[in-house]
Amino acid sequence: MNIPGDQMQRRMRRRFGRRKPAPGQNIIRIALAGNPNSGKTSIFNALTGQRQHIGNYPGVTVEKKSAIISVDEKHVEFIDLPGTYSLSAYSLEEVVSRDFVLHEKPDVIIDILDSTNLERHLYLLLQFQELGVPIVGALNMTDEANAKGIKIDSDVLGSILGIPFVKTVGSTGFGIDRLLDIAIKVAEKQIESNRRHLNYGKRVELAHNALIETLIMDDSFESRYSMHWIAIKLLEKDRDAIEKIKKEHHLSDLVLQVAGELQKRLEKQFAEDCEVIIGEQRYAYIHGAIKETVSLPGHSTGIDFTEKIDRIVLNRFLGVPIFLGIMFVIYQLTFSFGNPLADGISIFFTRMSLFLTRVLPDGPLQELLTNGIINGVGGVLTFLPIILLLFLGLSFLEDTGYMARAAFVMDKFFHVFGMHGRSFIPFMISTGCAVPGIMSARVLANRKDRIVTIMVSPLMMCGAKAPVIAMLVAAFFPDNATLIFWNIWLFGWVTAFLIALIFRKTLFKGEQTPFVMELPPYRRPLLKSVILHMWEKSSEYIKKAGTVILAASIIIWFLLSYPKPPLANNGFYNNNIPSVEYSFAGRMGKGLEPVINWAGFDWKIGVSLIAGVAAKEVIISTMGILYGIDEDISAQQSHVDFMVKDKLKNDPAYSPLMALALMIFIMVYIPCLATLAMVKKELGSWKWPFLQAGYTLLVAFIMAVGIFQLGSLLGFG
Amino acid sequence: MDFNLKTKQSDDRVKLLSELETGGRFKIIKINAGGEIRRRLLDIGFIKNQEGKIIREALLRDPIELEIKGTMVSLRRSEARLINVVEQD
Repeated sequence: MNIPGDQMQRRMRRRFGRRKPAPGQNIIRIALAGNPNSGKTSIFNALTGQRQHIGNYPGVTVEKKSAIISVDEKHVEFIDLPGTYSLSAYSLEEVVSRDFVLHEKPDVIIDILDSTNLERHLYLLLQFQELGVPIVGALNMTDEANAKGIKIDSDVLGSILGIPFVKTVGSTGFGIDRLLDIAIKVAEKQIESNRRHLNYGKRVELAHNALIETLIMDDSFESRYSMHWIAIKLLEKDRDAIEKIKKEHHLSDLVLQVAGELQKRLEKQFAEDCEVIIGEQRYAYIHGAIKETVSLPGHSTGIDFTEKIDRIVLNRFLGVPIFLGIMFVIYQLTFSFGNPLADGISIFFTRMSLFLTRVLPDGPLQELLTNGIINGVGGVLTFLPIILLLFLGLSFLEDTGYMARAAFVMDKFFHVFGMHGRSFIPFMISTGCAVPGIMSARVLANRKDRIVTIMVSPLMMCGAKAPVIAMLVAAFFPDNATLIFWNIWLFGWVTAFLIALIFRKTLFKGEQTPFVMELPPYRRPLLKSVILHMWEKSSEYIKKAGTVILAASIIIWFLLSYPKPPLANNGFYNNNIPSVEYSFAGRMGKGLEPVINWAGFDWKIGVSLIAGVAAKEVIISTMGILYGIDEDISAQQSHVDFMVKDKLKNDPAYSPLMALALMIFIMVYIPCLATLAMVKKELGSWKWPFLQAGYTLLVAFIMAVGIFQLGSLLGFG
Repeated sequence: MDFNLKTKQSDDRVKLLSELETGGRFKIIKINAGGEIRRRLLDIGFIKNQEGKIIREALLRDPIELEIKGTMVSLRRSEARLINVVEQD
């Protein structure tokens, strides 16, 4: 029973955010498990408060959230396991979850269940129980179940499964203290939570016992794993369990042989595959338990709230327009509020840089500080407002349950190109900026889908490429400027789809991941969760991607400013040679001229493109410097634009054909450093940004040369 | 042996889930798939004798949404093709 006074007292004794217990002190370790849509995040937040530590599970990019709190002077660590439907070996998340439980052996697992959908959620709980760790079940969303007239006798359910159950409501905090209390008591063995696995029926049990007889012949193996679990997994032909036997069991051949024979016998008896037999036995067991403990309301209570909304939102003909409308609103929200804020940050850093230029003496230190560091930090922080707003929008979509609908509505169009319906979201966001676009690829649960989407998202015309393309279009195609601009915008989408298809047919070919997906009931998002989520993502961005972006900006600055041109006789720099021309980047541009000439580019364009790797908008300002446009004027962006446009137009070396080749090159070639840093952060290896930079450069070069050579041949030069 | 005979007898009534119209009710007979897709179907509640109903389809008639074990689930038509069902009234 929850008495308000009791709750208050408990809360006072709970202290959030304790980092590390004193050495030698015991720590209770509680893992949180549950299906997606079980309200696991809200329970985790309610249990741990705000101070969470976010990292990865060892060796993989699956996110691991943990937190340590103290309760009555005891230290309790919570570890959030990935939300999954099952514990098979087919997805990384599932393998991570079970390996964590097997190797780290938490003292207790709290499994969070949606009370309105107990059957499906108990299916996961039983698989956790098999791992041999005591379980406490949280019957979450009790309020929704009550509203629907679903009555659960948690005591009887507990005695059937041998597990204590606690009713909770994650969004209000109801039952959280009791849940914690029971979990601690189970961890301290004051309350029993049965480790016996469910009864799979006579035939499966016989096979299972026979297999255990063979398994326990290796003592050290027996001491490491739950034999029940290994036996069941071997009968299910689980590839990860088979691996474990091969690697760790003394008598691996014998074990696998026995398992094979037992499987054959079962499959003959049931005329069904072993994996199916065991799965169906699990459901049968759950069905029996539910029949005795859950009473559903008489016949259906009419159409529910979710179905009412879905009749409109998922209507065959309205679905796509509604989705596009929602995306448009999120896009507008992100960029129309985000861009002015980003500009504000950018102006602040420019002012700071100007101030330091005045205050500090001229020299390398001043340049490093202003052009290198402050520019770099500014570059990192300008993305921040956009990332915050983007995650506000995405959390809203995810938490309400709309994200699954978006995939439903869009899937067919993307599936043709080997992608998942949800890929639309990162693509769309990338037309604003690829950095948040790549972060948003997290909406894709499958790793292959995510990699392919991330690899092609930067091909979109982003907010930084747009002014460069607009300037070139205005300079060389003044009569059809708008038409050509939008065709190039469209070119970004088409290229992304085609290259995604090529990736799917080559590097990432093979079995398509199943689309089978739950469309969860609509729920009101919790403001607290949304804000916490925004905060997590933004601080992660600054910590992980920020440092790489900063380091890279300093390198690019160095390449563009060193070595310095020799001093003229009067002791001043020779103004006739822009220092960029003399720098490493300038020399690289000149060195590359014979090659890039195939696409019609001269060394000035070469240098600008090298600088453009730092950030695409830098292409214009670098051209400005190379054409000797006075730096005082260059503070005003629109002015530089105008002057560069004028210079390009009047340079006899450049033709509209070259401009077209250049625009295509700019659309496709190496993504900006911030994007590459983000790709590394999101996919966890430098291999991916390198592959991305390599393939985009190659494709861009081939396209640009092709356009220029073919055009020249046809006499457009 | 026994099992095979049974399916043969009711062959005319057995359909693929992908062939059913929107609004159709069904009972699952068998899942003709292996590997990850079978496991995912199993995990989300596609088991023998389970009943369900097709709720709607997307713009290009694919994917489809159905109700099973009190939950809404979406499937591609190519995945629904792997499921043998009998139509219910």
